[in-house]
Amino acid sequence: MDFEISKELRKEIDETREWGERQVRPAGLEADRNGAPLPVDHLYFRRYLEHGGGRTRWHGAGGKSSSGSSDGVVKSVILGEETSYWDRGMTIANPGVGLPEGIVLASSTEEQKQRFLGPFLEPDRPRWASFALTEPSGGSDTANFKTRARRDGKHWVLSGAKCFIGNASRADWILVQANADPDKGRAGQRAFFVEQGTPGLGGFKIEKKMGLKAYESTSFTLEECRIPENNLLGEGDRASEKPEQSDKNVKGYKSTMGTLNASRPGVAASAIGIARAALDESISFARANDLMKQIRVRDRLELFQRKLRAAWLMVLKSAWLADEGKPNIVEASMGKVYAAEIAQDIATLAMELLGVVGARGDHLIEKLYRDVKALNIVEGTGQIQRVIMGRQLVGLPR
Amino acid sequence: MIDFSLNEDLELIVDTIRSFSNERILPKIRVFESERRVDDDVCKEFAMASFDRLELPESLGGSGLGMLARVLVNEEMGAVDPGAALALDRLGPAFYVLDAFGGLKALSQFARPILETEGKRAVLVLESDSTFDVEHGRVSGAVPWIPSSRADLVVILSDTGARVVEHGSSLQPLRGSGLRAAGASSLRLEHAPVIAQWQDARKAAQALAKARLYAASLLLGVLRHSSEFSRNYAMNREAFGRPIAHHQGLAFLIVDMYTAVESVRLLVHDAALKIDRGEDGTQESAAAFVEAVEASRFIGPNGVQILGGHGFMQDYPVEKAMRESRALGLWMGGIDRARDDASKFLE
Ligand SMILES: Cc1cc2nc3c(=O)[nH]c(=O)nc-3n(C[C@H](O)[C@H](O)[C@H](O)COP(=O)(O)OP(=O)(O)OC[C@H]3O[C@@H](n4cnc5c(N)ncnc54)[C@H](O)[C@@H]3O)c2cc1C
Repeated sequence: MDFEISKELRKEIDETREWGERQVRPAGLEADRNGAPLPVDHLYFRRYLEHGGGRTRWHGAGGKSSSGSSDGVVKSVILGEETSYWDRGMTIANPGVGLPEGIVLASSTEEQKQRFLGPFLEPDRPRWASFALTEPSGGSDTANFKTRARRDGKHWVLSGAKCFIGNASRADWILVQANADPDKGRAGQRAFFVEQGTPGLGGFKIEKKMGLKAYESTSFTLEECRIPENNLLGEGDRASEKPEQSDKNVKGYKSTMGTLNASRPGVAASAIGIARAALDESISFARANDLMKQIRVRDRLELFQRKLRAAWLMVLKSAWLADEGKPNIVEASMGKVYAAEIAQDIATLAMELLGVVGARGDHLIEKLYRDVKALNIVEGTGQIQRVIMGRQLVGLPR
Repeated sequence: MIDFSLNEDLELIVDTIRSFSNERILPKIRVFESERRVDDDVCKEFAMASFDRLELPESLGGSGLGMLARVLVNEEMGAVDPGAALALDRLGPAFYVLDAFGGLKALSQFARPILETEGKRAVLVLESDSTFDVEHGRVSGAVPWIPSSRADLVVILSDTGARVVEHGSSLQPLRGSGLRAAGASSLRLEHAPVIAQWQDARKAAQALAKARLYAASLLLGVLRHSSEFSRNYAMNREAFGRPIAHHQGLAFLIVDMYTAVESVRLLVHDAALKIDRGEDGTQESAAAFVEAVEASRFIGPNGVQILGGHGFMQDYPVEKAMRESRALGLWMGGIDRARDDASKFLE
């Protein structure tokens, strides 16, 4: 047993920190002040590409493709936590394949990888992709999505609406979850690549959010949106078969949910990053205002430090289990809900520490307080994480 | 390198102490509790397996293990009966004070004789929990509660140093709230001659850190047991046509209890690893103790709640866990002092 971070990884954390402090934090603050996502042509995104970001983990045709993070989940979680410390919103705003990358690597055909990940190998400009699950009528009840996919000759025709989708209006393509066979319930679900500019994809509305303003969360509609048959995720030569006859497609729902399971430690780590920023800001504030001797102030800070450490170890454990190839469903959900809720508590109590200064609306802690709330909502709410744990721990029925 | 696994040696120790606790202690927890003692043959077996000298250096006939081994063993024993654990581990956390200040010499002078005589016990008391006067090398004072029915060696730890007393103490039996299998007494010292004393604030802090972790790891075991017992019960008990665990109000509570136990465990292990690496660990072990005590306020009463009226009855162990966890949280200086130390990082 060992909870220490290796020297090599420490070096990478230092580099991430330097980039975070110089580039990420200022960009995030700018977006927050403007109350709008950073525009597509923002200089930051160019710099990010020059810095080596925005690229796919896929190694190109013939290269070995990994379905997980090539360097391991522990490492990606640790570096993700550091970036989130500087600005969580920016981690999503960053160009790159982002959230759908895991599922595409795991489930797409080689041809699809070439077509959809290829442009992200050495991107000529900042490029984004997007993953659309949530619908206006509900996001938690993933088995009950209303967006439909209908077969029409060599095409699929999608109809429905999606909401709060990260980077949707600037994405090259959106991986859209839709039901191809509603009678089958969740087993009818499939994921489709919908390319930007496809007729029928439209009605983009960039939502105004409480926090995490750096990236766009966009609602859109699919009206008789016609896409080629080989845009069905995982579907190559067998496109003419009925979806349920293809092994890969039978896993449609499962592979999507599997992706969300795998990304959970990352989301949890970003909550930790935000909370750690709130802790550091609180300590600076307490020092600057001569509050350190006050017992109530000290008690709050002690609680921040302790809970943060417990949450962080929980997240690391779930990531470590993933790297070991061991089941981590309970641990990943536990880490996510615990980290998100602790982070919210910390930001909330940190506001109390600021007193009326917090009410001015211009302190970093005030921004963190708004940003962090989303972490207990996205990629499975705190309640849904408990439902998942409950299934494992007490056999809670669906 | 991040690694959450246990090595084979530690796994073996955990397996052994778990079987011992389940086979030799579990069947008699209520008997030990009402008799305020653990059977002699159980004590003998515990000593035969060298569990009573887990951290004693090998040169003194001990197993020479570190803090991680200690917290693993305590979690297992705490999960069955923390009172019995205290009764069986006759040096208890007094070991840390003797070790920190007096090293091998003090251990062979004071600890060995305890282990060599059946039934003898060393107790650690904190000056902050008591009132003491020292005059001409003699100490007088009173400790309201110790979880023991004997005090063959009294080790008194203050913020700045420690004293050892062998004679001149008297015990008054108490009912005790929890940990009754260890016994429960108030302790009086009357002009008790101090046979050894040391001054060193840093060592005092180190000893206290380990003592707190000792308590926190027993508490961890109690919390695990309460949470697991009530979880199992909830899967088998039915109300409104389904297992009570399948009502979301209870399912979420059970999930949160499970999470609270894990948070305590991770902080306990974190502190133990720090100490075993030779780092100070004062802040981390204090944090682990605070976390354990806070979790006990949540888990103790809710473990009872999940069993409803049955939880309140002594036929089930959850009421015991509620009492034991409360008592353990008051021990070793309690939560307020621990919180002070856990916020040392702010200095
Ligand atoms: C900033 C932000 C970014 C997002 N980005 C994306 C994105 O990129 N792609 C995407 O697809 N989605 C995205 N989402 C949407 C997000 O995933 C959903 O909001 C979330 O899954 C919850 O769905 P909902 O909003 O429809 O709430 P609902 O599902 O309507 O839930 C409402 C409430 O009911 C509770 N609830 C629901 N079911 C149960 C149950 N069985 N037991 C107990 N309680 C229950 C929920 O926990 C919640 O408190 C984003 C959301 C936000 C805030």
